[in-house]
Amino acid sequence: MIARLQYFSRETLISLRRNLLMTLAGILTVAVSLSLFGGILLLSKWVDHGTEVIKGGVRLEVFMTVNATKQQIADVRTNLEADPQVESFRFLDKAAAYEEFKRIFRKNPDLVAAADPESLPTSFRIVPKQAEFTNAIKRRFAPQAGVDDVATPEEALRGLLSATRTARWIFIGLSIVLLVSSLFLIVNTIRLATFARRREIEVMKLVGASNWFVRVPFMAEGLVQGLIGAGLAVAVVVALKIGFDSWFSSPTGFFRDFYVTTSDAVSIAVVVVVLGILIGLVGSLIGLRRFLRV
Amino acid sequence: MIRFEHVTKTYKGGITALRDVNADVQKGEFVFLVGPSGSGKSTFLRLLLREEITSEGRIVVAGRDISRLSHWKVPQLRRNIGTIFQDFKLLPSKTVYENVAFAMEVIGRPRSVIRTQVPQVLDLVGLAKKAGRFPTELSGGEQQRVSIARAFVNRPLIILADEPTGNLDPATTVGIMRILDRINRTGTTIVMATHDQRIVDAMRRRVIELDHGQLVRDQARGVYGIGTDVAP
Repeated sequence: MIARLQYFSRETLISLRRNLLMTLAGILTVAVSLSLFGGILLLSKWVDHGTEVIKGGVRLEVFMTVNATKQQIADVRTNLEADPQVESFRFLDKAAAYEEFKRIFRKNPDLVAAADPESLPTSFRIVPKQAEFTNAIKRRFAPQAGVDDVATPEEALRGLLSATRTARWIFIGLSIVLLVSSLFLIVNTIRLATFARRREIEVMKLVGASNWFVRVPFMAEGLVQGLIGAGLAVAVVVALKIGFDSWFSSPTGFFRDFYVTTSDAVSIAVVVVVLGILIGLVGSLIGLRRFLRV
Repeated sequence: MIRFEHVTKTYKGGITALRDVNADVQKGEFVFLVGPSGSGKSTFLRLLLREEITSEGRIVVAGRDISRLSHWKVPQLRRNIGTIFQDFKLLPSKTVYENVAFAMEVIGRPRSVIRTQVPQVLDLVGLAKKAGRFPTELSGGEQQRVSIARAFVNRPLIILADEPTGNLDPATTVGIMRILDRINRTGTTIVMATHDQRIVDAMRRRVIELDHGQLVRDQARGVYGIGTDVAP
C-alpha cells in the first residue's frame, strides 16, 4: 500500500515536471477563473447584505419619536392598515431596533455598549402597493403626531442593486467561459502526458496493470492542478474579504450596511475548492478517455 | 491451457484474419506459429491477449472463456501471460533492473518480492551484471533478454513471443532460444510466432501453420517447411 502511494506520487510529480509549462498554464487558468468566480460570489454577498432593505420590498420607513406614546403608535398603525396605497408593513419595537443598531455599528463596540435600547426609536417598515406611491405615503405620514421622520432608502442604493445584478451575470458568464477553458487546458495537459508516456502505458497494459492503476497518476496530475489553482483562488477570496472589511469600514458612510461575514467567505472558499477538484478530475478523465481503451 | 474453438476474426474493414481455427495447446507445450506475413499469426496472439475479440467461436485460456471476459477482468488475464516482441518494447528511461521491476510494480507486487525476484530472473537470462545499464547501452540480443526477463518475472502460465528473434543475428538467436527453452522446462507454455526456419527445424517442436487465416498444419514435432502429416 505504501509502495503504491510512493509509486503514484513519484509518477505524478515526474509527469507534472515534464509538462511544466502546460501544467502552469492549467493551474493559472483554474486560478484566474475560480478567483473571478469566487470574487463575484463574494461581491454578490456583499451587495446582498447591503441591499437587504430594498430586497425585502421595503420602500419607506416611518420613524416614531423616541418618546412616542402607545396611542400615537396605535394611531399610525390604524392609519397604515386603512391606507389603500400600503401593501404591507412591519413594526419594529425597541428591542428589534436595538438589534439593528448592534448590526450596523458592529465595528464600533463602544457605541453599542453606550446605547440604551430605550433611547432608540420604534419604526414601521412599509411596502407600498406600487413604487410610485412612496412619496404620497411619505407626505401623508410625516405630519402625524409622534412621527419623527419618514425615510426612503436612497435611490442610489436601488441603482447599485440593478447595476450589480447585471454585472453579476456578466462576470458569472465570463468565469464560466474561463472555467471551461481551464478544463480544456487540463484535458490537453493530460493528453500530452499520456502521449509522452504511451510506451509505459502500453507496457503496463501488457503486463496486466489494472486500468485504475494506469489512470491514477494522471488523475492525480489533473487533481493537483485543480487544487493548486483553487488554492490560489481561495487566497484571492480571502484577500477580497479582508479588503471589503477595511475599505468600507466607516460606520456611517454610504456602504455602512454592506458587509461579508466570515461564514460567507468560508462557504465561497468551499465552493471554489470543490469546483477546482471537479475541474481537475473531470479534465483528466476526459483526457484519459482516448488512450485507455483496452 | 489454450483452446481455440472455431475461431473466426473479421476486422472492421471486412478483412477476415482468421477463419474457423481450432487448436488445443497443453500446459508446458512449446508451439511454433508459422506462416507468411498476413497469414493471421499476429491476430492469433492478439486474440489471446484480448487486444481483439473473436468474431465467432471461443478461446479458452486456463479454463476461462476469454471471448466473454468482462472488460475489467482483462488485466487479470494478462497477468497470466508474458509477452515478448520483435521490437522489445523496453522503456528507454529505465535501467535493466527498473524495466523488469516495472512489470511487478504496476501489478502491485510488494517491494520485498521485487527485490528478490528481479535479480533471480536477470541471472536466469544472464544479465545479472548489467542490471544498472540502460537499454540503449545493450546489444539487440541483450535487450531481448531483458524483455524475456520482464515477461517471465511474474511467473506467467503462458509466454507469447511475436518474432522474438526477428531483429537478431543467428548466433544471438541461439542464445535467446536457449533461454526460452529453459523457461519452457519450468512448465511455462510458450507460443512463438516466427519466420525463422532454422530454429523451427532445429528445435523440432509442435508447429502450427496458418495460411490466409486458416490452420493448414498442426504437427507434433514439425519443421518449418511444407508438412506432410496435417492434423485432422
